[in-house]
Amino acid sequence: MTGREGPDGRTLVKSLGELPQSIEPPRDLWPTIEARLGGIEAPAPAATAAQSIGRRRSARLRWLAAAAMIASVAVGVWIGRSLLPLPGAVPGARSPASAANDTSAVTGAPTALDAAYVADPRYERQRAELLRSLQTRLAALPPASRAKVMASLETIQRAKEDLERALGRDPGNALLQELLVNTYQDEMRVLTDVREASDPGEGI
Amino acid sequence: MRSALWLSLSLPALCASAVVYASSDKVFDRTVAAQPRGVVDISNVSGKIDVKGWDRPEVSVHAELEDDVERVDVASEGSHTTIKVVLPSHSHGGEARLHVQIPKDSELNVSAVSADVTASGVLGAQHLSAVSGEVTAELMGGDAEAKTVSGDIKLKGHGQAVRLRVSTVSGDVHVDHGAGDFEASTVSGALVVSLDSARAVRAHSTSGDLRFEGKLTRGATFEASSVSGDLNVRASTEGGYEYEASSFSGDISDCFDVKSERTGKYMPGSRLQGTRGEGAGHVRLKTMSGDIQLCDRS
Repeated sequence: MTGREGPDGRTLVKSLGELPQSIEPPRDLWPTIEARLGGIEAPAPAATAAQSIGRRRSARLRWLAAAAMIASVAVGVWIGRSLLPLPGAVPGARSPASAANDTSAVTGAPTALDAAYVADPRYERQRAELLRSLQTRLAALPPASRAKVMASLETIQRAKEDLERALGRDPGNALLQELLVNTYQDEMRVLTDVREASDPGEGI
Repeated sequence: MRSALWLSLSLPALCASAVVYASSDKVFDRTVAAQPRGVVDISNVSGKIDVKGWDRPEVSVHAELEDDVERVDVASEGSHTTIKVVLPSHSHGGEARLHVQIPKDSELNVSAVSADVTASGVLGAQHLSAVSGEVTAELMGGDAEAKTVSGDIKLKGHGQAVRLRVSTVSGDVHVDHGAGDFEASTVSGALVVSLDSARAVRAHSTSGDLRFEGKLTRGATFEASSVSGDLNVRASTEGGYEYEASSFSGDISDCFDVKSERTGKYMPGSRLQGTRGEGAGHVRLKTMSGDIQLCDRS
């Protein structure tokens, strides 16, 4: 060591390089450390209180995390149910989110989503009525024609499901919305044709 | 013993006579006066309806009727002539084969269930419908509408511009040498259309394929869409057209050496757009999963 001595008699160093690589303790410290470690099993009352506060904070955080997770799941479900079309969903049923976010009343122009899901009570009524009488109407058709109509209705159903599934992946896709609306129109046309075809004395 | 012999001889004779009786159709003939530009309505459940236009101001009906057919009503009042095959109540059988001649300028309305319908030489508007029967008609210059549930539709024109509307549920549609405005819809039937000069074309299918070939007039519009059917369009026009083909998951190809481009980075979807010639007309093709082919050469 080449340093000077300080006011308390300690040696002052100018750089870290002047410090020794290691300093051996003047005595064996382990027995004291071991004794203190053994004493932890019975913590002091002050330590217990601190840990209790920590546990309460930790539990509160867990509850908050769980609540946040549930909330985010709920929001996800709400978005899924209200914004995205579900397989088998009736297009005439306007989504609550769409109604809640309705700007068309203000702007006068329907949104893309509204264009695909226009609520029309007449459509709903007519469709429900046509579906109610479908079995009877089909029974009145020639057997070969009946089979083909049923196959076509299944085709329409599959097309609707495919489109709704694709719209679930890409809800804002105007092409899919347009094709879905066309497919619902096709369904109405077939149901109407079947009704008219099965009316005695009436042509389609 | 003698009675057994009598029975064995008489039974085959009885059966033979029954077969002859069953196959013998009734014949019905009637002619009524009609206005040259009147309206003729014809309806039949099963069998056939064959209509021809002629130069006389008369409606002539010749019918072969099975026994299950009750009668044929022919009524003419003012400009309206009605021909109706009547079946007994609660009967769904009974074929009637109708051969009808009408003034060629008449408007024709035909309604059939499982009867096939054919019409030729009629210059007036035609409204032809059948449930499972096939509709075949000649387009002579009057507007035409053909509609079936499961029956096929075959229309043949001579290049005169008309308004033509066809729709089927599962039947196929074939149109040859049509012209003018064309509108078609089907669920699962195929649309095979050849137009000599089209002003406006609108076609839609759910799963049926569309194959179009022909010429468009200058400034014509062509719109076709399908959910899962393929669209194959070969449309040429002097003024050219702007085109836009979009598909969610189908392939798009053309004969212009233009490549379709993706509509989004992360979602499926492709679009092909551009202009041919002056871009006077408009062609729009859309599918969800069907393939699209577009060409401006026949």
